[in-house]
Amino acid sequence: MSPQVAGQLELLGQVLISGILLGGLYSLIGLGMSLIMGVMKIINLAHGELMMVAMYITFWAFTLAMIDPYVSLLIVFPLMFLLGVSVQKFLLTPVMEADTVLPQNQVLLTVGLGLVLSNLALLLFTANYRSVPVSYASKTIYWDLKLGGQTISLSFSYPFLLAFGIAGVLGASLFLFLAKTDTGRMIRATAQDKRAAALMGINTKRITYITFGLGAALVGAAGALLDPVYYLYPQIGGPFTNKAFVITILGGLGDIPGAVLGGLVLGLAESLGSVYISLGYKDAFGFIIFVLVLIFMPRGLLGRGRA
Amino acid sequence: MTKPRPMQLVTLTLLALGLTAAPLLAQGKTFKVGVPLPLTGAEAKFGEMEKQAYEMALDEINAKGGVKGTKLALDIQDSGGKPETATAIVEKFITIDKYPIVVGEYSSQCSYAVAGVAEKYKVPYLVVTGAADKITQQGWKNVYRLNPPASLYNLGVFNFFENVAKPKTIAILYENTDFGTSTSKAMKEYCDAHGVNVVLSEGYQAGGVDFKPILQKVKSLRPDIVYMVSYLMDASLLMRQSKELDLNPQAFIGGGAGHTLPEFLQNAAEASEYCMSATLWTPQVKYPGAKEFFDNFKKKFDKEPDYHGVEAYAAAYVLADTLKRAKSFTADDIRTALAETNMMTAFGPVKFVSWGQFTNQNRMDTLVLQVINRKFETVWPKEGASAKYVFPAPHWRDRK
Amino acid sequence: MSRKSLIGLLPVAAVLLIPLLTQSPYLLHMFILSLLWIVLGQSWNLLGGYTGQISYGHAAFFGVGAYTTGIMVKSGQSPSTAWWGLLLGGLAAAVVAAFIGWVCFRLRGSYFSLSVLALSEVLRLVAVNWNRLTNGAEGILFIPAFTQKTYYYYIVFALAAVNLGVIRWVMRSKPGYYFLAIREDQDCAESLGIDTTKYKLLSLLISAFFTGAAGAFYMNYMGFIDPGIVFSIPDISIMMILVTMLGGAATKWGPAVGAILFILVSEIFRVWVGSGHLLFFGVLIIAIIIYFPNGIVGTLTDRWARKRRLQGAEAAA
Repeated sequence: MSPQVAGQLELLGQVLISGILLGGLYSLIGLGMSLIMGVMKIINLAHGELMMVAMYITFWAFTLAMIDPYVSLLIVFPLMFLLGVSVQKFLLTPVMEADTVLPQNQVLLTVGLGLVLSNLALLLFTANYRSVPVSYASKTIYWDLKLGGQTISLSFSYPFLLAFGIAGVLGASLFLFLAKTDTGRMIRATAQDKRAAALMGINTKRITYITFGLGAALVGAAGALLDPVYYLYPQIGGPFTNKAFVITILGGLGDIPGAVLGGLVLGLAESLGSVYISLGYKDAFGFIIFVLVLIFMPRGLLGRGRA
Repeated sequence: MTKPRPMQLVTLTLLALGLTAAPLLAQGKTFKVGVPLPLTGAEAKFGEMEKQAYEMALDEINAKGGVKGTKLALDIQDSGGKPETATAIVEKFITIDKYPIVVGEYSSQCSYAVAGVAEKYKVPYLVVTGAADKITQQGWKNVYRLNPPASLYNLGVFNFFENVAKPKTIAILYENTDFGTSTSKAMKEYCDAHGVNVVLSEGYQAGGVDFKPILQKVKSLRPDIVYMVSYLMDASLLMRQSKELDLNPQAFIGGGAGHTLPEFLQNAAEASEYCMSATLWTPQVKYPGAKEFFDNFKKKFDKEPDYHGVEAYAAAYVLADTLKRAKSFTADDIRTALAETNMMTAFGPVKFVSWGQFTNQNRMDTLVLQVINRKFETVWPKEGASAKYVFPAPHWRDRK
Repeated sequence: MSRKSLIGLLPVAAVLLIPLLTQSPYLLHMFILSLLWIVLGQSWNLLGGYTGQISYGHAAFFGVGAYTTGIMVKSGQSPSTAWWGLLLGGLAAAVVAAFIGWVCFRLRGSYFSLSVLALSEVLRLVAVNWNRLTNGAEGILFIPAFTQKTYYYYIVFALAAVNLGVIRWVMRSKPGYYFLAIREDQDCAESLGIDTTKYKLLSLLISAFFTGAAGAFYMNYMGFIDPGIVFSIPDISIMMILVTMLGGAATKWGPAVGAILFILVSEIFRVWVGSGHLLFFGVLIIAIIIYFPNGIVGTLTDRWARKRRLQGAEAAA
């Protein structure tokens, strides 16, 4: 094998690794959004801002108490769950009950919520860029492959690998929770037909609290996992809300395995596209796939979402 | 649901409307200068730093008695980084508050919008950080720029190339913004003219999480130099991920901004070592007051200023100097005095000249810095260097 | 003319007189922005409020209109002919809308909302990357044709008036009733033989045309655009929804009330609250949604109507 071919193989290998690892994180961001969309049929425009809040919790836990970001998941998850429940209970549910021309009031409310959260962070924590300087931030595991007399050297980022693993565990737990527990079944029933679920004696109000809480906790976990490899500042949320949209629609609204697949597809599309097509259009590939999926597979990649 | 109370809202609105009228009445004896800055939105960090630097300079100037016995005051207003808001602010400054001079703004877009308004009303405007070439290429008579235009940020780097690096190949990655595009364009033009082979030149969307795919592509092209223009934290991610991929050019060189921020050292940590960057200023420059500014700022605000801070600080001194020389505090006299500025500041010498397409543009040498032992050191030009450059940089795996 | 329509004309007449009362460029700038946002709000209202098709990506049409005009000037037209951009920009936006409608209107609900958003992001990236056509991230600039703000004021006023007139006319004719039928129950509308896709598309085209014209006006007025400004999701797309819905979706004057409120209140907050102004703005949004679920105009009209009914009932008893 010639060195050129080996070089190209190394490039392809590295691009695939990056895409899949990043896709794991994206999946976690998309899961929360998908859950909320599935049950409440609303788009949460404060999704990225919720992630921002979680990132600040992780940051302060590390800065003030030296709590490792992965350990702080144990704090972030319940705190974000509570935040999500309160948002649903005190803001979204009252709005939902009002009789309106358009059902979009809750979405607008999340716009207001996003503004409040990001500007509160600006006032409380200043606009400074922060990072969580863990010792293993750029720790890398190398894997040298011998192929036809050439060495192909692939690298795996340690924090990305960990994030991928944790995202996988969380995704699987969520799936099991929805499939096997009573509460999980009630959530799925509410997603399918809220009125029917209520008639069956399900307290759908309570279910929406839990759903929004879970959604916030999941995107919060993504924020905590992102902290060691990224940075944070008050306005960081916006672009991630967009990513969450794309992932959710790719997977089909409210389809949990679909959202995981959507995240992976987005990660791969971005990394492959940026290398083999054009870096400038990197963020467009997700959207283009999204529109193509809409045209040809309107029920999501797995064909199970509700069109 | 709670019962709606529309009357309260109406009362609040009326109250707020009443308050807006108040500043028109309260014009004291101090001389006020209008300063639009982004204090919210994505550029808030820089707006905040500049605000602090302006206020620091003003305290110093006023402590020494102000200008001709008049105290200076700043009317700093938040533009949120939006051109139409910046326009609104400056329309108000000029036509309602009647300020005879405008200073500031941060981004190129907003600086350009403000410049257009200032030119229309013939009120002098001192641009402090907006770097796009076009701002001083319109032949406008009221627009003066303290910082060099983006296309000249690289002068020091070019000089370093000719004397030391002599690269044959280069890969260019730049942020898809006005600043990134124009800085990298200047680099590309230089390389084409001097026989440096540009093996890759691509723009990226700021704020990406993972640059490894494109960096791996750069790696497969084996360039001598990897040149990057990043405004913000992308700089540290690019370096960290280059290290992870074991990408080893002879040097990583940044185009200023992101690679010169104090946050770069913290976030990139050991991956920042030996990274070079074009810069307008470092705390080690020999200009009078530079080091004092750096130390005082750090003490006062508990954070290190970068060149944006010193630009604002110097702008306040240029303003005071101009007012001192102005015959009266009218726009015409201030403009005349501003045009004749020839002074030394903590940022460097300031003199507004016109050449080529540029008018009223401060011309200055730019420097090259390098991270050595996790500190920014000035390494080029040789005279005035605070440390010797390390070139080529050792490979990542050979470092301890 | 009925008393009611005379009362309706009063605010219009007052707005016409404003430049005679004040020549302050700052105030006129605020009024021009308000009128621009009235156009945007009304356009969104036709599609979102009356037809029930929620778009999260109207910045796509705004941007296309602005760029059509910008590119005309960039390729050598003088800024005064750039006023044709109001027409051409609107048409270009309508062409893009036709494509988007063709893709999206086979689907319902959130899918349409989000795919407009996706396409608007793709267009933004095209504007950033297609350097030769759009000047990329550096944006397009020219020196505006007029220095007097009064001209811009009357131009954008005319745009807003035409926009309002067209929407009123459409809403009183057959398509208007179809729009409402589609919003209330699409299946029902379809079973009555309404070609829902066709009428949704019609509503989208009109909406996009005026949004594009507003974008063209923005280019002419500000003299500078870049992809981040005109294709902005939070600053254009989401703002359009906020303006309409907080003013009152599917009401005649809702978008106007929303636009004026937004521009003026956000300016007052900006000047008086300082760096916390967006926080207050966020709280205001939440408060309006909670206290005025159908927007300010919508909720107040409902309330008055109810009161009158109650009074009528009392009088009868």
